[in-house]
Amino acid sequence: MIGTISPLGPQALSKPTSIVSEAASAATGDVASSFAAALADAATQTAATLRQAEQMSIAGMQGHADTREVVDAVMTAEQSLQAAIAIRDKIVTAYLEVSRMGI
Amino acid sequence: MDPVNLFDLAAQQARWLSVRQTTIAGNVANANTPGYRANDVEPFEQVLDRTRVAMTATQAGHLGGGATDANYAVRQQEPETAVLPSENTVALESELIKAGEVRRSFELNTAIVKAFHRMVMLSSKA
Amino acid sequence: MDPLSAALKIAGSGLGAQSERLRIVSENLANAQSTGDTPGAEPYRRKTISFAAELDRATGGSTVEIAAIGNDQSAFPLEFQPGNQAADANGYVKMPNVNVLIEMADMNEANRSYEANLQVIKQARDLISMTIDLMRSQS
Repeated sequence: MIGTISPLGPQALSKPTSIVSEAASAATGDVASSFAAALADAATQTAATLRQAEQMSIAGMQGHADTREVVDAVMTAEQSLQAAIAIRDKIVTAYLEVSRMGI
Repeated sequence: MDPVNLFDLAAQQARWLSVRQTTIAGNVANANTPGYRANDVEPFEQVLDRTRVAMTATQAGHLGGGATDANYAVRQQEPETAVLPSENTVALESELIKAGEVRRSFELNTAIVKAFHRMVMLSSKA
Repeated sequence: MDPLSAALKIAGSGLGAQSERLRIVSENLANAQSTGDTPGAEPYRRKTISFAAELDRATGGSTVEIAAIGNDQSAFPLEFQPGNQAADANGYVKMPNVNVLIEMADMNEANRSYEANLQVIKQARDLISMTIDLMRSQS
């Protein structure tokens, strides 16, 4: 289930982040690596909130969780998913632009 | 514990809730029928336990039936209040309270399904 | 049959049964004073209604049906009304065996059951709507 909702699995991020870090390492190595790390962090965090939402929903349907907790977990997951997808789209756009740059 | 498919669980719960709604309808309609005993479905936890047992008993990789056959036992309830001379055991208030529970669970169920469906669609977009 | 549609059908049968019951009660109330025309004649006899549960194969639930509409065989009370056209030799008139208080209580209960059935119908209808709404895009 979680597998279908993972736009930013750590593997999927590897290509764009490597491009980004290569291009920027000449200029500001520190910033690039921390940016890549931040992106990877965001990805794992999204996966965690999604898993949490799924578990809360299952508990909610079995009657073991409070309604409000379920709703909060699901909304948090949606928010972080939305942000992750926006980031992914930006990265893909940036990568395409970089690849179109004249040599 | 085996990974539980969220959508499957939600579908199962929705089916169970619908059967419970039908049972409540039968009780309310027969609230004044002499000799009628109030019914209720078995609790959802029992249904899940049955499925879990059925799934572990079958071969790996074989999608079992179990409670997906939607045969939820509908049993006569123990009368809570004194039984009337007419032998009717339906209490309208408790039936309506049960109906309220069904409604709340159903709303949560459809909301969860909708939210996760949205997320799947969102992440599948190009 | 889909359980929610079955619930609608069952609650619908409940509505029908309770409104028939209300009809009988109002007939009794309307005729609570209806004496006969000639001396010693029989007045209006109270009507009764009984329900029975019907196990419906299609729905898998129990609908409710009118088992019988009968007559209350209890004795007619006598009232001293010498001027009444139905008065016998001693001036007593046979009055209908309708007790207004009992009929009113019956009417209240019938109303209550009717309302409860109506609530079940509304809820079943709402649950069906919610299910169909799942398909609607963007909440």
